[in-house]
Amino acid sequence: MFARVLSGVVLGIDARLIEIQCDVSGGLPAFNIVGLPEKEVSESRERIRSAIKNLKFSFPAGRITANLAPADLKKEGVGFDLPIAIAILMATGQIAGGSRRTLLLGELALNGEVRGVRGVLPIALQTGSEVDGLIVSADNGLEAAIATDKPVFPVKTLAEAQRFLNHEIDIAPITVDPSALHAPTRRTFRHDLAEVRGQQQAKRALEVAAAGGHNLLMIGPPGSGKSLLARCMPDLLPALSFGEALEVTRIYSTAGLLEPGASLVWRRPYRAPHHTISYAGMVGGGHGIPGPGEISLAHHGVLFLDELPEFDRSVLETLRQPLEDRSILISRASISVRYPSAFTLVAAMNPCPCGFLGDPVQACKCSMQDIRRYRRRLSGPFLDRIDLCVEVPRVPADDLFGARTAESSSVVAQRVTWAREAQWARMGDDDACHSNAQLDGERLDTVCMLNEDAQLLLRRAVARFGLSARAHVRIRRVARTIADLARADVIQAEHVAEAIGLRTAGDAVSDF
Amino acid sequence: MPMRGDESEDRACDYLKQEGYMIVARNWRTRAGEVDIIARDGDVLVFVEVKARSGNGFGGPEAAVGLAKQRRLIAAARTFLEETQCELSSRFDVVAIRPGHIRLHQDAFQVPD
Repeated sequence: MFARVLSGVVLGIDARLIEIQCDVSGGLPAFNIVGLPEKEVSESRERIRSAIKNLKFSFPAGRITANLAPADLKKEGVGFDLPIAIAILMATGQIAGGSRRTLLLGELALNGEVRGVRGVLPIALQTGSEVDGLIVSADNGLEAAIATDKPVFPVKTLAEAQRFLNHEIDIAPITVDPSALHAPTRRTFRHDLAEVRGQQQAKRALEVAAAGGHNLLMIGPPGSGKSLLARCMPDLLPALSFGEALEVTRIYSTAGLLEPGASLVWRRPYRAPHHTISYAGMVGGGHGIPGPGEISLAHHGVLFLDELPEFDRSVLETLRQPLEDRSILISRASISVRYPSAFTLVAAMNPCPCGFLGDPVQACKCSMQDIRRYRRRLSGPFLDRIDLCVEVPRVPADDLFGARTAESSSVVAQRVTWAREAQWARMGDDDACHSNAQLDGERLDTVCMLNEDAQLLLRRAVARFGLSARAHVRIRRVARTIADLARADVIQAEHVAEAIGLRTAGDAVSDF
Repeated sequence: MPMRGDESEDRACDYLKQEGYMIVARNWRTRAGEVDIIARDGDVLVFVEVKARSGNGFGGPEAAVGLAKQRRLIAAARTFLEETQCELSSRFDVVAIRPGHIRLHQDAFQVPD
């Protein structure tokens, strides 16, 4: 009257396997789940009872105890419905076969249907020699099969799982060939740079940002195309590698944001949270085990913050550390979770509260004090982390009505890919550094070699504009990216000149 | 004219026997509460509560087995299992009787947390 199966629980993007033990014994009728179940796990009793009865299986009389081991780990999520139900059927002899090495995950509907759950991919990644096979909802089948070399059997109902374990029916395991899963060869562009009229400088800044992984701030009046430009950014970045796609999918699986039946997330993420977002929404949090925030959902992609000064100052300040470390550690009393957050930040703001400061046509209505207060919402240390700043002025009428002559995204994306490949070749397997934006200290000196003209120009610029050491480092980083876009090994004077033109956000905002 | 209690319990007993139950005890009393019928359904010991109503008012007889009534039944059942040292699995059934109509609710409720 005792049975056990395996299941799993997600902790951030990691997971632990859980053994589910079920004992049916005599005594008064009761059904208890022990082993630190959270509310939704305790509630599974009602779903399990209804599903078993509605499928005309017999729900045992007497006392049922389900234990989720290890018992000192908090269990949340609804994925335990299916394994507990199967363990009950095994303990009561309604499943003759069944193995303690089968891993099951799925939520039960009252009629016995098996629904998909979040976090299947991280759990499937944990399956080692202790697991023979996985039974999951058909919705999660592909997601699980990508992450494990064990057979994955998709089921639609509890009855199907029971008949399968009894060897009454056969279910073909889902097979995926990871090499066949590689990114689609033909890239589609959701938004094309050719759609944006004018704004040559901003487009160039976007290209440089994409090529070197630099963060970008766009300043301009309403309606000048800042948001549209930002939306073009993810498609300018090179396609995700298999490893990167797996990392992104892991986060989306944990957050429960995968479409049913989805396999890997191949598109670079683009996240554009509203400025009313809370700090927990931005960096991650929530009750129980903290979930990923927008910065992690934007991992390997683009985080776009429109109306930057409208964001809560404390929310923006929490971005400083993940921008530096490319991951975030969320610590709570009971648990600490680390989520990756290697995103490229694209931000947009108006030059002043009314938005028209410096506009050639419309007059600005703000007082100096208003403008100063608006700018003060952005702290220096935060802006220092944004390498590129560009003005996005009103589009002149001639540009609006003229013929479309702009370069399309596919052309720009090709240059970006070349530049990225040059960086990867240069940096090799260095885990700490994947792009020019992360160059620092010694690595910067070895990688950013300037020819004589370029050195002279940089020295003059530093003297003439009184540039700080930080600005000097930034110019060299950005010049490196510009040289990579031009497929040049050594940085030349023209690259430095362009880099000087693309100022830091810190300088730009304080200069205005 | 509603049926008297033992009259409706007689009918319930007949019905349960017809369903294949073996009657073990009737009106089993303890300080904690009372069980109308205790029966065997195969390997399962069943504690049966009988409720009769003359009409459909107040949601029918089933609605009369409230939480307090359930608690008394559970306490009584627990005492019974202890005294008899019975190791069988057990279950709570409710027999609902209306004029000209009888209905058996198997596994009507369980011991809560």
